[in-house]
Amino acid sequence: MTTDPNYPWQTVFDKLKTWARVNSPWAIHFNSGSCNGCDIEILATLTPRYDIERFGVKLQGSPRHADVLICTGPVTRQARERLLRTYEQMPEPKFVVAVGSCAISGGVFQGCYNVVGHIDEVLPVNAYIPGCPPRPEAIIDGVVKLLESIKGK
Amino acid sequence: MTFTDFSPLLTILFFPGGLFLMGVGLLYEWLDHKLVARLQNRIGPRWFQPFADVVKLLAKEEIVPAIVNPYLFVGLPLVGLAGALTAALYVPLMGLPPAFNFPGDLIVTLYLLSLLTLSLGLAGWNTSSRFSLIGATRALTQLFAYEAPFLLALLGPALVARSWQVSEIVSRNAGQWLIVTQPIGFVVALIGLMGKLELPPFDAPEAETEIVAGALTEYSGRGLALFHLGKAVELVVGLTLVAALYLGGIGNPLEFALKTLGLLIIMAGFQSVLTRLRIDQTVGLWWRYGALLVLLQWVIWIVWKGLSL
Repeated sequence: MTTDPNYPWQTVFDKLKTWARVNSPWAIHFNSGSCNGCDIEILATLTPRYDIERFGVKLQGSPRHADVLICTGPVTRQARERLLRTYEQMPEPKFVVAVGSCAISGGVFQGCYNVVGHIDEVLPVNAYIPGCPPRPEAIIDGVVKLLESIKGK
Repeated sequence: MTFTDFSPLLTILFFPGGLFLMGVGLLYEWLDHKLVARLQNRIGPRWFQPFADVVKLLAKEEIVPAIVNPYLFVGLPLVGLAGALTAALYVPLMGLPPAFNFPGDLIVTLYLLSLLTLSLGLAGWNTSSRFSLIGATRALTQLFAYEAPFLLALLGPALVARSWQVSEIVSRNAGQWLIVTQPIGFVVALIGLMGKLELPPFDAPEAETEIVAGALTEYSGRGLALFHLGKAVELVVGLTLVAALYLGGIGNPLEFALKTLGLLIIMAGFQSVLTRLRIDQTVGLWWRYGALLVLLQWVIWIVWKGLSL
């Protein structure tokens, strides 16, 4: 099939694909050296109280099944390899969300001898969620903003 | 060149096989998830969730690991889905008479339904990641556990109707609720179906807390979507089969909807109440209790039949 954007069915297919992507973001969670505060908040987001299955978000164990990589914490020298490997195991199209102050800037761990830095120095990040740790509502808001940005493309 | 009849092609591609069946399967999958969510005091997914999941997976990149046999990796999801779709041709879907039938098609249907689990096992073995290997071993172990009791349970109605043909069994037992006379068979058949679909408490083969995603760990994109669709189709076909054999047959679409949904509600209840069984517990449950109880019921039925003659 041709990929010429001028064909009408091409735009229909593109719209269908975008609709499906926005409505079914499967996530995988990776901790690259966080203090666990953000991870607890992410787990709280996944509980029945917030029930993000409403929006189609599902936590996946395998990076092969995931669309969104939710990263927490600064990247330590030891976790850098693992983070990159997890990212490379995910099939295209993939998105990265950095959760928490440390993931955005390195936070209190900035300049430590064993820390590479923030997530942005290792991976291309699509959405940042500030907070120490961010509340579940903030995490949901961040994911929704990411989905809005996918819709716009 | 004679006139070509397109109706078998339509039967296979659109109704009742093919696209229509996939749609109904995904809708039933949503109902199942929604019911479980409501039982867990959640709101649950939106009605188009499984459709969005499948379209998204089909539009994603498919990574073929370097170590696998690529033909098997690409072909197995197709075989699994084809098996489930073919099985649908022999059951009274939507209350319509089966699209095709021949004497003994009950056995063929059951084996076609097992094809999905077999390809799942082979897929897990083929990808040779440690998680998928354990998942495949568990899937096949579970297959050996539930298959014989499930088969025995579905042969109970066949014994009553003195036929191995699904359409014959349904028409001869019409209006006769075998759940009353063969309650053990019904329970074993329903729980066997849950084992077949790897629903909780029989989800040890894809236990996400221990072995990532079981046999499908390395699958992404198209392969994952096809296995997903195969499971959804198998859910509908299995529910139709159990409802047709044990709940007094299926005469019209309304009856189909009511009976299969009733079964789905019971299954959702089991799913949210019970916790995951270890694989040895699953095997023990089926062989120590399931198979023996069904055999006991067979003996009772045969003795009663012999006395009343």
